[in-house]
Amino acid sequence: MLQKLLSGIWVMLVCAHSLLALPESDITPFMRSNIDLATSILRNTHLSKPERSGKIFAIFDSVFDYTLMAKLSIGAKQWESLSSEKQHEFTKLFEMRLKNSYMEKLDLYTDEKIVIKNLEKIKDTRIHLTTHLMKNGEVYEIIYKFYKTANAGEWMIYDVDILGVSIIQTYRTQFAEILAKEPFDQLLARLKEPEPADTKKAPQ
Amino acid sequence: MRLLFLTCFFSLSLLWAANPTPQQASEDVETEFADKTSEALFDPLEGYNRFMTDVNDHFYEYLLRPTAQGYAYLVPESARKGLSNAFENLFFPIRFVNNLLQFKWLNAFEESERFVLNSTMGILGFRDVAAEELHIYAHDEDFGQTLGAYGVGSGFHIVLPIIGPSNARDLVGLAGDYWLNPLTYIEARDANMVDNTAESLGVTAFYMINRTSLHVNEYDSLKKDAIELYPFLRDIYESRRNKLISE
Repeated sequence: MLQKLLSGIWVMLVCAHSLLALPESDITPFMRSNIDLATSILRNTHLSKPERSGKIFAIFDSVFDYTLMAKLSIGAKQWESLSSEKQHEFTKLFEMRLKNSYMEKLDLYTDEKIVIKNLEKIKDTRIHLTTHLMKNGEVYEIIYKFYKTANAGEWMIYDVDILGVSIIQTYRTQFAEILAKEPFDQLLARLKEPEPADTKKAPQ
Repeated sequence: MRLLFLTCFFSLSLLWAANPTPQQASEDVETEFADKTSEALFDPLEGYNRFMTDVNDHFYEYLLRPTAQGYAYLVPESARKGLSNAFENLFFPIRFVNNLLQFKWLNAFEESERFVLNSTMGILGFRDVAAEELHIYAHDEDFGQTLGAYGVGSGFHIVLPIIGPSNARDLVGLAGDYWLNPLTYIEARDANMVDNTAESLGVTAFYMINRTSLHVNEYDSLKKDAIELYPFLRDIYESRRNKLISE
């Protein structure tokens, strides 16, 4: 009886572990196998664009901390001042924006090769995974930035650096500029615009 | 039954415990990001910069892109790529001198190798044989980067007509590179293909149209990511330059 119970717990433990946690030692193998998988999905011309991106998001959603990314993009101070509904709405809109932007980039994708260059532990709670995207003999550096969640042993992505440009920083700068002049609801409205083509007509 | 319940309970509590709590962890992540608004940043030309960003954007949307697209329709990509290679080959003095100024001896040597190989076997640089066959790649350096490597700060941000985002340091850099740019020296001489200044300006314009024709999709896709174009481009430009200088 006890043995059964113990083995049951053990099985569940293993399951729970593999469902959520991305321990440090698994970051490189996880990213390598999934980047390879994503590459093969991208090359699969039988799938439509939404199908391809859907499959790719399903792979990477578990390691991207969209809530933290949203929070960093508007800054903790602004974040705290929002009701939890607004926080949730903003996070969803921000996540959608990141994903739409990614889908746009799929059109540019031809036959690039992505290789993992190195994994560097910046400090106890930060890991930078450097990847190189090769296109026409040129190398584009993309760095995935992981942080250790409050729960020991688990790592999630909070930012991506492309050619030295931090995605979160670009949003943070823009949101701060917008919020300096407009109320938060206006920002939400602008995030809802399907095509942000009106940038040049933005109110000063 | 009770056994099942217990195991479920245990695993659920584990799940709960393993759930990330960003509120706690994000506190120090926040410090990695700067507050780079116009107020926090030294941006004395903000008003002008926003205006020029607008002008450049219109120039791109209504003149440069349509021209580049029409040109791309007429000229096959391989030819445009070849022309782009030939132009880059001509800019060899800029890269060579700035690699030397940054004490990057090997890079300067490789640049010379590239110039010799591509100018001859690559037929005036139309084919980048050095990269294709020998995997010797270009080492892009300019005088702005050299100044940055010497420790010169970026200074205020400035958006230049047509050229786009720049800053005080890179403005000096552009002036320095001007003297190393062979296109500067195209002038009316009997042996030259072009006869006057207007035609030499035409060469520069052609270089620009050719280059744009190869990158229209990239730029459009990038622009779609912008919510506020000016701070967006400013941030990208400054971060990218810092990265290039650190390399």
